[in-house]
Amino acid sequence: MTKATEPTDESLLARMIAGDEEAFTLLYRRRQPAIYRFALRVGGNAALAEDVAQEVFMALIRDAGRFDAARGTLAGFLYGIARNHLRKRWEQDQRVVPLANDPDSLPMLQRHVSGSVWASDELVAHDAAERLRQAIATLPENYREVVALCELEEMSYEEASAALDCPVGTVRSRLHRARALLMEKLREGHGTRHVPAVGE
Amino acid sequence: MSEKDIPMNCARFDEILPDLGRPECRGTPLRESALAHADSCSRCAQLLAEVESLDRAFRALAAEESGLRAPERVEANLLQEFRREKAAVSRSGIRWQAAVGIAAAVLLAVGVSVHHWMTRPPATGPATQIPAVGSASPQAQQPAGPSAQVGAHAQPPISAAPEEAGRTVKSARSTEQSVSEDAFTPLPYADDPTALDDGAVVRVVMPRAALASFGLPVAAMEGDGTVRADLVVSEDGTPQAIRLISQDEASGSLR
Repeated sequence: MTKATEPTDESLLARMIAGDEEAFTLLYRRRQPAIYRFALRVGGNAALAEDVAQEVFMALIRDAGRFDAARGTLAGFLYGIARNHLRKRWEQDQRVVPLANDPDSLPMLQRHVSGSVWASDELVAHDAAERLRQAIATLPENYREVVALCELEEMSYEEASAALDCPVGTVRSRLHRARALLMEKLREGHGTRHVPAVGE
Repeated sequence: MSEKDIPMNCARFDEILPDLGRPECRGTPLRESALAHADSCSRCAQLLAEVESLDRAFRALAAEESGLRAPERVEANLLQEFRREKAAVSRSGIRWQAAVGIAAAVLLAVGVSVHHWMTRPPATGPATQIPAVGSASPQAQQPAGPSAQVGAHAQPPISAAPEEAGRTVKSARSTEQSVSEDAFTPLPYADDPTALDDGAVVRVVMPRAALASFGLPVAAMEGDGTVRADLVVSEDGTPQAIRLISQDEASGSLR
């Protein structure tokens, strides 16, 4: 199927509401990976991410009528539900925090590494990615959200603004601050000299 | 002064640095100006190198995690839920249809009763009406007891639809020719003899004075201002025959 003939999220949702199981499956397979990755990056826990991904689509099955296309995209609506579930879970269980050494965190990532032969530049890239992943996990929650969406899912500021239900300026400033914090953490881990700010 | 006309310096460079790697910034004059500044400023060159390194790490991390998906069991659970929800919606739809059907039937029955009541001939007064009706219907001149069973002997069997009508017919047959409240009396203006065979039977409560319009002797009736009666109505809703209900029977049927 070419991109041009792919049904839109909205048309799939309409078919899904009418009871079309195939439409629901298509919609789920299209949107689930990004929602799962978002929950994993922000929640820092694979079990939590699985629960959140399931809850997001359960909510869609049970109450699809809550989605209003005039207020934003379906993807933004789904991210909104995911964020609410993450917050609820944090409130229920304060122990769920992103831990770099949590054996349950990002297990798929570990599997990517094991059993494959990496070229040296790939190893370097993997090492950088792993250090970055750990640094992201230490960021405050609202910074992790913008990093997950703008940097890792490559959303524009406008798209992230819709998904996070906050102004574009807020997204931008949070991202700038998050990047500054990440650079600081990566420098610390690498023993790199700090570049003084202007006038410092 | 447009954005690109603002001279590039270290402060300006710091301001736009986080956006330099973003797709929307690529190829813009502002970015070119920032890169040119970094070529001539070692401090900004180092910052730029760090930012580029961070962007590479982001790309590597995104590539490594691009295959991450929720386990298959999540999809299976969701499909199960989808089917359950669909079945529930379908059951709810059937219940609604049944409820609407029943409500429509009840409304129709009430409407027919009201229509019969509204379209009955106007009573002009019992004293003058009785002789007129009586002359039109000899049966009505027969002695009218408290239960007004006149004309019971002339009743053909009724196979009307409702269960109550069936009971009435059986009762009328068994007590034929006797003093009974189970017999139907054809009304003076009855124009559909087949109604007695296949008409519907409707139980009504009516003002006693209204009996005159059916050709019945009002003075002979007991009780207060209302009486209970079964009416046989033809297909077009016109009452064809009447059977009065005694107070005992009426209260018995309510028990």
